[in-house]
Amino acid sequence: MYQWSEEQLMIRDAIRQFVDKEIRPHVEDLEHGDLPPYDILRKMFATFGMDAMARERFKKQIEHAHSVEEAKAAGLEPPAKPAREGGSDPSMQLIPIIELCRVCPGMVTAMGVSMGLTAASIMSRGTIAQKERWVPELLTMEKVGAWAITEPNSGSDAFGSMLSTARRDGDEYVLNGSKTFITNGPYADTIVFICKLDEGNPPEERKILSFVLDAGMPGLEQSKPLRKMGMHSSPTGQLFLTDVRVGRDRLIGETEEVPSGGRDGAKDTFSMERSGVAAMALGIIEECLELSVNYAKERVQFGQPIAQFQLIQEKLARMEVARLNVTNLVFRTIEMAKAGASLTFAEASAMKLYSARAATEVALEAVQLFGGNGYMSEYRVEQLARDAKVLQIYAGTDELQIVAIAKDLIRR
Amino acid sequence: MNIVVCAKQIPDPAEPGALDPQTKTLKRDGKLILDESDMYGVEMALQLAEAAGGGEVTLVSMAPDNKVDGLRSGLAMGAAKAVLVSDPALAGTDALGTAKVLAAAIGKVDGAQLVLTATESSDGYTGTVPEQIAAILGMPSITFAKSIEVRDGTVYVKRQTDAGYDEVECPLPCVVSVTAGVVEPRYPSFKGIMAAKSKPLDQLTLADTGVDAGSVGWGGGGQEIVGIEDAPAREAGEIFEDDGSGVDKIVAYLENLKIV
Ligand SMILES: Cc1cc2nc3c(=O)[nH]c(=O)nc-3n(C[C@H](O)[C@H](O)[C@H](O)COP(=O)(O)OP(=O)(O)OC[C@H]3O[C@@H](n4cnc5c(N)ncnc54)[C@H](O)[C@@H]3O)c2cc1C
Ligand SMILES: Cc1cc2nc3c(=O)[nH]c(=O)nc-3n(C[C@H](O)[C@H](O)[C@H](O)COP(=O)(O)OP(=O)(O)OC[C@H]3O[C@@H](n4cnc5c(N)ncnc54)[C@H](O)[C@@H]3O)c2cc1C
Repeated sequence: MYQWSEEQLMIRDAIRQFVDKEIRPHVEDLEHGDLPPYDILRKMFATFGMDAMARERFKKQIEHAHSVEEAKAAGLEPPAKPAREGGSDPSMQLIPIIELCRVCPGMVTAMGVSMGLTAASIMSRGTIAQKERWVPELLTMEKVGAWAITEPNSGSDAFGSMLSTARRDGDEYVLNGSKTFITNGPYADTIVFICKLDEGNPPEERKILSFVLDAGMPGLEQSKPLRKMGMHSSPTGQLFLTDVRVGRDRLIGETEEVPSGGRDGAKDTFSMERSGVAAMALGIIEECLELSVNYAKERVQFGQPIAQFQLIQEKLARMEVARLNVTNLVFRTIEMAKAGASLTFAEASAMKLYSARAATEVALEAVQLFGGNGYMSEYRVEQLARDAKVLQIYAGTDELQIVAIAKDLIRR
Repeated sequence: MNIVVCAKQIPDPAEPGALDPQTKTLKRDGKLILDESDMYGVEMALQLAEAAGGGEVTLVSMAPDNKVDGLRSGLAMGAAKAVLVSDPALAGTDALGTAKVLAAAIGKVDGAQLVLTATESSDGYTGTVPEQIAAILGMPSITFAKSIEVRDGTVYVKRQTDAGYDEVECPLPCVVSVTAGVVEPRYPSFKGIMAAKSKPLDQLTLADTGVDAGSVGWGGGGQEIVGIEDAPAREAGEIFEDDGSGVDKIVAYLENLKIV
């Protein structure tokens, strides 16, 4: 694909109208008034039937999972995955991401972590019962999800220095640890908690296990939102676990026997997260470019619109190059998903690295192009610049993306 | 209950419009969108069909160059099908000619009991087409509806007036024009958008409608646009410097206009 189809443009326009009517008037409260983003997201899901579509898709996946189990039990060849139908075109997820990010990227962070990361990690390795128990309400945003791996002393080296533990106690596990920078942490109803199984063995040999927790469980404390540089509309917090007792039914997959010690499961989740970042970057870039072109044509200095100055033209041209490149990356993800192919881990890293840097550069250059106005909230680019910056930090820092790309190149 | 909604497709009012110097009319060669005025009719029709427990909503439109984008928006909102009349011979058709063509197209929709229109379009706004359609079809008509209910073959309408509303009723089949802003047009769902392209969309020529070619187009209207001029520039307003007596001056000004 090289451009959006007629239907995709209709979807874009409909979302744009919703954003103009339901989100733009509330940006101030979302950014500075601690208005949580969830009700607006729920309204968006209901308005466009995204909730019903998610439920239908989930039902089909569960039916398939059942038929695989039945075939296995009967010693038969399990049926192939049903072909993706029109309804599961990833553009239906990506277009809302792009449009929301033009105005309020934090809403996408909150949404992506809940229905993307949290639901996806249960969906990819959970038992059928676990999927049915937690996933549908996460996919429709009826429940807010959080996915917790980062700790005060363990970020990029997520598994290496992880201190959170699970200890067996009879048929149950006892969980301890603290997590930080957790998106939706303050409001989450459903939390995926990633920790190490402590069997008295050295930490580097411990298995990585994931548990599903519900808000309000004894011993689980969710902090208030942390103050931060940007993404204010996405509440970020800390989680503290003190002797939280859980049954095996909360251990994702209900087994300790996880492939490569559990270190790969999280990697799948990383890959998906990284593709979503490209769509976020595109929204930020498109908005900054549009605002910048308009401003450059209107703002007059030295008797002419600043758009006439070559140094300003260079900024606009570079923004356009970024827009084209990131658009192409997004189109590529859509094409690949439709063809049933997926990016390698290194490709996903490359895409994330490029898009995140492009978004930050474009947004900061937009601030520069707007001059003093660029530094003022009223002109909106300062918010987008603060928001864009985190794309280079979360879902793996730029440096870690580079490490992943280089490792892959050298290994070949 | 089957309902027909007249859906005019117009140039996007958000885009700067342009006049064709040759025909002296609005250029309609770009994308045409569903007139916002008609979105209220579509929404009202969908609600009435839902309340009646079923029935189809059909969109009927006349537009140049086989344009269908506006109709797709209505289909995405939930209308079941659409009929478009498009024919080069219709260029220059006036309101009465338009009503003849639309009435003929409505006549081809099976079992249409209720015809909804807007009270006036956003671009032409003569506000005459709905009653002309009713007259041609020999149906009663009610204008300026702010709410519509249908019970046992009768339409009950709250008809907006300057002072409030009148309660009026008439038997089906009939034509009702819907006041802008009285319902909240729904957003199309993603599913609705994906389904819109595969919904039936009949394209008719003038000959298909059976309307006499002599009664439409530039000739049929018997109208001629002899010239277009810019609207006269607005005269400068009166400026009061507020030296503390601003309120008195404004009150005096309004009194002079007999407003207060
Ligand atoms: C707004 C926000 C939301 C977040 N949401 C979540 C969430 O929902 N769930 C969750 O689990 N986590 C979340 N995080 C955490 C995020 O994933 C981490 O902050 C990130 O992975 C970086 O870890 P760190 O902060 O510990 O930085 P560190 O790992 O301490 O990195 C510090 C610096 O050292 C560099 N560095 C580290 N290792 C290397 C290396 N090997 N080579 C070169 N440079 C290196 C880094 O790139 C960085 O520049 C969120 C963070 C933010 C800011
Ligand atoms: C100079 C001139 C040139 C024209 N050229 C063309 C042409 O090339 N091709 C062409 O198709 N038409 C053409 N028309 C017709 C024109 O677009 C209008 O449809 C017609 O004049 C109705 O006038 P109005 O918008 O004032 O209707 P109003 O009476 O204000 O409309 C009231 C309601 O009636 C319904 N309605 C009105 N018109 C239509 C419609 N066309 N389709 C569906 N519902 C409708 C809508 O619900 C509308 O809100 C031309 C008209 C003029 C005056």
